[in-house]
Amino acid sequence: MADIVEKWKKLREPGYFGKFDYHWGMVIDLDRCSGCEACVVACQAENNLPIVGEKRFAQNREIKWLRIERYWEGEYPDAKVTFLPMLCQQCDQAPCETACPVFATYHNQDGLNTQVYNRCIGTRTCAVYCPYEVRYFNWFTYQWDEPLEQQLNPDVSVREKGVMEKCTFCIQRIRDAKDQAKDRGDRVRDGEVTPACVQACPTEAMVFGDFNDPDSAVSRAAEDERHYRVMEKLNTQPSIVYLTRVEHHD
Amino acid sequence: MLVGAGTAGAGAGFLVKESSKNRPEQYIPYVATPEDYTPGIATWYKTVCQQCAAGCGIEVRVREGRAKKIEGNALHPVSQGRSCALGQSSLNVLYNPDRLRQPQQSRGERGSGVFQPIGWEQAYTTVSDRLASLRRAGKGDRVALLTGNVRGHLHELLETFMAGVGSSRYLQYDFLVPENLLAANQASYGRAELPYYDIGNADFVLSFGADYLSHWLSPVHYGLGYGKLRQGPGRERGLVVQVEPRMSLSGANADHWLPARPGSEGLVALAIAGRLGAPGASAYSVERAAAASGLDAAKIEDLAQHFAEAKKPLALIGGAALAAENGMANAAAVNLLNSAGGGAVTSNPDPAFGASAAKHIAGYPGLRKLVDEMNAGQVDALIIADTNPLHSTPESLGLREAIARVPFVAAISPFIDDTSAMADVILAPHSFLESWSDDTPQPGVGIASASIAQPVVAPVHDTRDFGDIVIEIGRRLGRDVATQLPWENTLEFLQARWRELYGPRSAELGSMEFGKFWNNVLQAGVWAENRKGPALPAVSRVIDPGEPAAAGDGFYFHPYVSLAMADGRGANLPWQQELPDPLTGMVYNSWVELNPATAKELGVEDGDVVTVSAAGGSLEAPVVVYPAVRPDVVAMPMGQGHRTFGRYASGRGANPLSIVDETVDRDSGALAWGSTTVSVAKTGRRVKLIRQSGTPRDLGRSILGPYGEGGKPAPHGDDEHHG
Repeated sequence: MADIVEKWKKLREPGYFGKFDYHWGMVIDLDRCSGCEACVVACQAENNLPIVGEKRFAQNREIKWLRIERYWEGEYPDAKVTFLPMLCQQCDQAPCETACPVFATYHNQDGLNTQVYNRCIGTRTCAVYCPYEVRYFNWFTYQWDEPLEQQLNPDVSVREKGVMEKCTFCIQRIRDAKDQAKDRGDRVRDGEVTPACVQACPTEAMVFGDFNDPDSAVSRAAEDERHYRVMEKLNTQPSIVYLTRVEHHD
Repeated sequence: MLVGAGTAGAGAGFLVKESSKNRPEQYIPYVATPEDYTPGIATWYKTVCQQCAAGCGIEVRVREGRAKKIEGNALHPVSQGRSCALGQSSLNVLYNPDRLRQPQQSRGERGSGVFQPIGWEQAYTTVSDRLASLRRAGKGDRVALLTGNVRGHLHELLETFMAGVGSSRYLQYDFLVPENLLAANQASYGRAELPYYDIGNADFVLSFGADYLSHWLSPVHYGLGYGKLRQGPGRERGLVVQVEPRMSLSGANADHWLPARPGSEGLVALAIAGRLGAPGASAYSVERAAAASGLDAAKIEDLAQHFAEAKKPLALIGGAALAAENGMANAAAVNLLNSAGGGAVTSNPDPAFGASAAKHIAGYPGLRKLVDEMNAGQVDALIIADTNPLHSTPESLGLREAIARVPFVAAISPFIDDTSAMADVILAPHSFLESWSDDTPQPGVGIASASIAQPVVAPVHDTRDFGDIVIEIGRRLGRDVATQLPWENTLEFLQARWRELYGPRSAELGSMEFGKFWNNVLQAGVWAENRKGPALPAVSRVIDPGEPAAAGDGFYFHPYVSLAMADGRGANLPWQQELPDPLTGMVYNSWVELNPATAKELGVEDGDVVTVSAAGGSLEAPVVVYPAVRPDVVAMPMGQGHRTFGRYASGRGANPLSIVDETVDRDSGALAWGSTTVSVAKTGRRVKLIRQSGTPRDLGRSILGPYGEGGKPAPHGDDEHHG
């Protein structure tokens, strides 16, 4: 146990991921995002998200690793709305990680906030600690009406009742790219990993890649002067950089 | 002690029950595996999405013979590697639990929706015997075929089939086909076609109700254009203004949203065109447009100035603006504006094949005529394929009663939907992910391209390829028809047609044999050639839009195409039912949107059920107070309210199209579904709204940026630079 705590403490140093191979991150441009929700269904399809049904949805039991949030400003006729895709921010200083009594959620060597389903005992503390509210609990073991289960992605586990789940940045796609790079004796090149949401996005509002590589598309996109991170004052150090929506004034 | 033991026992029993709930699965469906398949390795097949008419090229990830994920085809000019929510949900069509697994025969009263499964031989015999006897009796023309938006060579197959039957009644009706825009383009440009609206290269987009980011014409391609317009590299950020009574998804993304009175769009467009010196538009003053629309005259002047100063301005029209009584006139006004402003509108080259499909688009006038003919007993057999007009037309059209009068109704439909429920026999076709077809995208994207749609998985059920069904029935009609349909199956038919396409081009393709050419097109998922369409002629035609109709004491009723369900075609897909509406967060149900002031006046809040009454009927739905809709407008999403459409859609919510007046466009005859006035009454009942929601405002939390709400610095805002 002491070993685990020591190891964990070492990994909790901010910016530790700089010492490792990759720091996966994302840039989301709110000036491009149209709120069309292609990413939401892409995520559902890729990651075996359950169909919870009307009754469970009414009880706020829905599971959407990625959701489109909308923020209104002003009143009619000057009402304005801005969309914001909200998913796990893969925080470097993740509040959820300090909360878990069984280390089911931890930081891996790629800068990802990872959830080990088999370790999770379902205290749901992490979801309470998460300021972004992107952790979803399986209150039930969901079923797929036959033959919908034939669509399930064999690269992603289907979760059961009692475990917490959340966005993984499509870790199965990252693993696959890393495996292929390893076979080549090389690093994963920029653009070789694309999470499902990024791949679907019609307006090309999302960019994904390695922040450790200063020349990667994601590093360059994050240099835009509109960059910010959601609720940065909380010092969670998210791996997702947003670019503000541009306002036009006559 | 006893209690503790009991609890432990219950817990263990509970765990066993939970874990044994999972059904056993066969992980690898083959005993002897096909050669292109390795367990654990995904195979990708390119095909064409057929969820809407845009014709996006897609590629499907297949593992162990099952389709897992849909992505856009990066080589395809329409989708360029991207996809939309409805397209992604095609997998819910393929594996839908309610998809017909074999042909069905009606039991009991027509329209009851009760069917019993039958074999294919019986199904084919039932349909072909009926058609053959009508044909022998010289009554071939009393057979009508009503399809959706069938394009490409499959459409030509249907033409050949109907010629074999001896009938000229081959009609297409699809709610999302923009009838009025096609009619206006015929009037303005002399071609009833959709030009290429080049949003990506425009620097000012003025959209009159066209929700191009949701379902207008080609949403994925326009989404790409929108991203480029906003933040494309090496260009200035383009400006977007949306004129519409209820803020749509595109309106939400616009820089400025202008809530004009429904039906006044044409006058606004003409006033701007007049300012730009368009011929025939000088009589339309800004003042008149301002009075009709309720917008500030200064605002309209400002739009005119933006339009004039932009290098590549673009005006679009869609949604209810296209479905008012003056919808075609509004569209013609927008065409004039584009012509006067040198807009980013270019023509499309002629499609390589299937161009004659356009002349079968019956539209609403054609559907009305068919209803009259069915009522007059002039139709002895009706074949319905791939369309659900009973859900997208008002009850007052009387389509249901008319179909009920036809002695024999057959449907080729993968689902028992509102319309196919009326059939005596349903032939169960493959889903599009199991079938062969081909397509030329409509609207095109400025170049001549075509795609072959191939099956990506083996059929899940005992269904047949749509083309195979048509060929098989045709061959059973008589030897002369059989000679007209000499192909063994759809694949052979398509290859024969593509061979004709290949012939004249074989020289430029060099040593490439046809087989190689065919495989290359399948592999790339697209074939394109460098042909340009004729330049669009200057527009001078003005159709007077007239003054917008007054709502009187009532409200303008504003149905809109829902993002998740579209016109209703997506309602049986569980991913789409569970997809939160981006502007309200609503799922699974219908709702009615009211301006906060209107809601206050009526004394209703979120979740209060109201009755919306029109001359042609009424419906009930809960209120969602919506900050961006005119106070005199009641908006409602389409898509729900299916009588029959599987477990996810049947009997859910209400269908706004069922109560709209049977009013038609005064110039084109298209259904003016945006021109109904309604009254709203409180029922006193309340329901809990099922929606994905949170605090709807930023409230200085620095969620939308370091500066918080309204561009003001947040109280504790800090702009830490990324390290």
